[in-house]
Amino acid sequence: MIEVQHLSKRYGPFTAVDDVSFSVGAGEILGFLGPNGAGKTTTMRIITGYMPASEGTVTVAGHDVFSDAIEAKKRTGYLPETPPLYPDMSVRDYVTFVARIKGVPSREVRGRVDDVMKKTHIADMASRHCGKLSKGYKQRVGLAQALIHNPDVLVLDEPTAGLDPKQIIEARQLITELGGNHTVVLSTHILPEVSQTCNRVVIIARGKVVAVDTPDNLTARLRGSETMYLQVSAPGADVTQALAAIAGITRVKAEAGGNGLVSIEVDCEQGRDVRRELAATVVHQGWGLLELRPMRMSLEDIFLSLTTEDAGSAPADAAPAATEAASA
Amino acid sequence: MRNVITIARKELQSYFASPIAYVVIGFFALLFGYFFASLIYWFEQQSLQMTPGSGPPLNINQALIGPVFMNVSVIVLFVMPMITMRTYAEEKRSGTMELLLTSPLTDVQIILGKFLGALGLYAVMLAVTLIHVGVLFLYGNPEWKPVATVYLGLLLMGACFISAGLFISSLTKNQIVAGMVTFAVFLLLWVINWLGQSFGPTGQAVISHLSITEHLDDFARGIIDTKHVIYYLSFIVFGLFLTAKSVDSERWRG
Repeated sequence: MIEVQHLSKRYGPFTAVDDVSFSVGAGEILGFLGPNGAGKTTTMRIITGYMPASEGTVTVAGHDVFSDAIEAKKRTGYLPETPPLYPDMSVRDYVTFVARIKGVPSREVRGRVDDVMKKTHIADMASRHCGKLSKGYKQRVGLAQALIHNPDVLVLDEPTAGLDPKQIIEARQLITELGGNHTVVLSTHILPEVSQTCNRVVIIARGKVVAVDTPDNLTARLRGSETMYLQVSAPGADVTQALAAIAGITRVKAEAGGNGLVSIEVDCEQGRDVRRELAATVVHQGWGLLELRPMRMSLEDIFLSLTTEDAGSAPADAAPAATEAASA
Repeated sequence: MRNVITIARKELQSYFASPIAYVVIGFFALLFGYFFASLIYWFEQQSLQMTPGSGPPLNINQALIGPVFMNVSVIVLFVMPMITMRTYAEEKRSGTMELLLTSPLTDVQIILGKFLGALGLYAVMLAVTLIHVGVLFLYGNPEWKPVATVYLGLLLMGACFISAGLFISSLTKNQIVAGMVTFAVFLLLWVINWLGQSFGPTGQAVISHLSITEHLDDFARGIIDTKHVIYYLSFIVFGLFLTAKSVDSERWRG
């Protein structure tokens, strides 16, 4: 549905987007992840036809966004970072205005406006001026605006920014519902959002794509080994030796706290579940098992490791937890 | 065309949804009323001083309506920057430019829409003066044709100001900057012929031709000269062309 090929955007000597390529299939929800200033907004602005690219091409539903701009724009809905509202217009007037300029046929305008206002839960604010709405409502009116012409492609720039937790959940639900009927590209720097709503993630840093994958694959790919975290109460015992003897365990790192409490990180071979053996050993030794849980590398860690300085190197090296562990 | 009308309607709507339209029209009416009343008073004095039979009676079109509308052109000079300064600057500042530029609209449709919207407000403003002219028709017997030409001239002149104002507004995000620059440019276009004499006869001819209000004189006398019409129309088209270029270049620079 969206094809981005070798896209670059330069502002004078500054390169905001550098040779970015990816594609989004119909009905897919793609998360666009990256630190501030990574080039997310610039890429989205190019996809929506707000600005032309310096190099490369973008097609939306087969229409080039530059040479066939009008057709591409008819199929794209865009919610910029700040919802583009006219503060003096009432919500209904505003949505109606957008419906007209987006090319909704005159006799369908009224019906579409009602539909979209119902869908985004803003019908109760229809006669309120846009400038007087709360942040959450502004965002929803922005979403209504993007949906009004029932576009194939929805581009949402940080759709949940500035919302309260309840609104965030509602917004995510709405976005998940929209996927399937629409192809959605959303940018965010809130990581749980990506794993909850997106089918695929593009991680971008300093204008370059550093990873494209599903959230699950990304997590798996960056984990060279499985790590377990234990906390035991074992006054005066040599915890490290006892645990290292278990088959499949490659490394044990123990750290003694007060009152005989020991915090332990255990690395084991990938795909091997050693939790039973760990528990059995602890019990067998007569220690108290206070906590046992797998340490997953969260999307946060992946994100940090991919977007910090040596982002170009191999994923295994890039994972800070793994490198630290090997040397201990 | 539908898109142009939609944008124009939105522009007009936003003028009237904010205090801009009411303040602009209200104070224009106040100033115009004052000029009108004082010129009527002057006209009355002149008529009373004339001894009957000493010559033709004062022509109400030439002695009253013409001067009144030359005064209007001065008020328009001050008022117009306030109408045009927000057109693009405000859209850029509030981010709604992103909506317009990502909608299936061409730049020309947006520009024409904004132009017609501002022209609409200006026309409503001018329409207020019909009341005063109506009073003249009620109690005097002016000719209607020179009155019609003066309105035509004022509309054309206002359209020039609007196209220049749109261009200046498209250059900045800041309304005050847009307003001030627009005002300075309008004022310079108005008084540009003061310095004309120092450039020799050819220079003077060229410069006085550039003066935006100079072309209004003939309209006030009831003359529609194609020279002036073409001047105004080419000024309008040039201003809109510059606006289109400015919007396009903004797009590339980001």
